[in-house]
Amino acid sequence: MIFSINVQSPPYSTQASYTAYRFCKAVLAQGHQVHRIFFYQDGIYCATRLAAPPQDELNLYDKWQNLAKENEIELVVCIAAALRRGILNLEESIRYQKDAHNLAEGFTLGGLGQLIEAAVNSDRMVTFGN
Amino acid sequence: MFLVVNNKQIAIDGDGYLIDTQQWTPEIATAIAAQENIQISDAHWEIIYLLQDFYREFEISPAMRALVKYTEKKLGAHKGKSIYLLQLFPPSPAKLASKIAGLPRPANCL
Amino acid sequence: MQKKILLISRHAPYGSSTAKEALDAALAAAVYEQSLSLLFMDDGVFQLLKDQQAQQINQKNFSSILAALPFYDIENIYIHQESLKKRIIENKDLLIEHAAILTNEQISTLLNDQDHILSF
Repeated sequence: MIFSINVQSPPYSTQASYTAYRFCKAVLAQGHQVHRIFFYQDGIYCATRLAAPPQDELNLYDKWQNLAKENEIELVVCIAAALRRGILNLEESIRYQKDAHNLAEGFTLGGLGQLIEAAVNSDRMVTFGN
Repeated sequence: MFLVVNNKQIAIDGDGYLIDTQQWTPEIATAIAAQENIQISDAHWEIIYLLQDFYREFEISPAMRALVKYTEKKLGAHKGKSIYLLQLFPPSPAKLASKIAGLPRPANCL
Repeated sequence: MQKKILLISRHAPYGSSTAKEALDAALAAAVYEQSLSLLFMDDGVFQLLKDQQAQQINQKNFSSILAALPFYDIENIYIHQESLKKRIIENKDLLIEHAAILTNEQISTLLNDQDHILSF
C-alpha cells in the first residue's frame, strides 16, 4: 500500500511529529511504501537546520533526513507556512532579501498542491498533529 | 529596485511586486504593466479593477479558476473565460493581473 | 484520477492559525480539480458565525474568505449538528446558507464515503 504523511506539529514541543516518524518506520518495516511526507503548519519547523538539541536527547531533525535518504522519500515543506514562520531556502532568502537561509538538506519547499497530489496518488493519507 | 513614476521612486521587489501595496495608483499600474510588456487598454482596466474588488470582498487574491468564475459573474460569460484573460495577461493572468492591480504578492507558487 | 477528499475543520477561526491553514489547503485542493468537501465540527463551527470583526485583532476575516468558496467550486459544505447544539448556535447565526447540517449518523456515512480525510 502507498502511504503519504501530513505532519502538522512541531518537532519538539509536542510528540505528534515523532509519532509520525515512528509511523513511517513501521509502514516501511511492513513492506509498504511512503510516497511523500508533507510538512504543514508548525510541522515545518522539522525542516530547520539550525536546531541543536542536547546530545542525550532525541534528534528528530537528523532522523527525518536519514529516513528520507535511506528510503528515497520526498520531504516537502509547505512554502506558504514556511515563509510565514521563517524557514527559507537560498532562493527564497534572496527573493525576500533575508541575510540567511535555514532549510535543512533533504527538504524541499513546495506548494499546498503537493499535499493534494500526495493524497491523489496514495492509498492512505495520514495526518499527525492537531 | 525601483520604478520611476512621475519622477518618484516606487520600491518594487525582484519579481516586480510593489513593496508597499498602499502606494498603488493607476500610473504605477501602467508602469508595472510596461515592465511585463503589457500596454493597458480599457479591457485591462476592467480586469484590474475587478481583481481589486475580489480582494476587497474576499481578502484573498484569486487563483485562476476563481478569477474566471468571478469575471463570469461580474462581466458576463463572454469574458468569464480563461482564453479571454490569457489574451489580456499572458501567460498567467491571475498572477500577472494581481501584480499590476497592486494586490499582495502570493505567499506560494499555486 | 479524481478522488473524494473531505477536509474536516475542528478549530475556532481565531486564536490559532489551524483554521486559516485548513482553509488555505481547501482552496489549494479546489485549484487541483479534486472533488473536495468541507466539514465543520467541534469548535470549527465558530468559523461560520456572522458578524466577525477580525480587523480588531489584525486578522483576515473568515467570513470574507468563506464567501469565496463558491468561486473555487467548493460546494459541498457540511456542518455537524451536535457541535452547533452544544455551542448554542442556531441556523440564523450562520453565514453559509447552503450548507447541509448533518446528524452523527449522517456524518459517519459521509466519512465512509471518502477516499481521503484531511483533518485540521
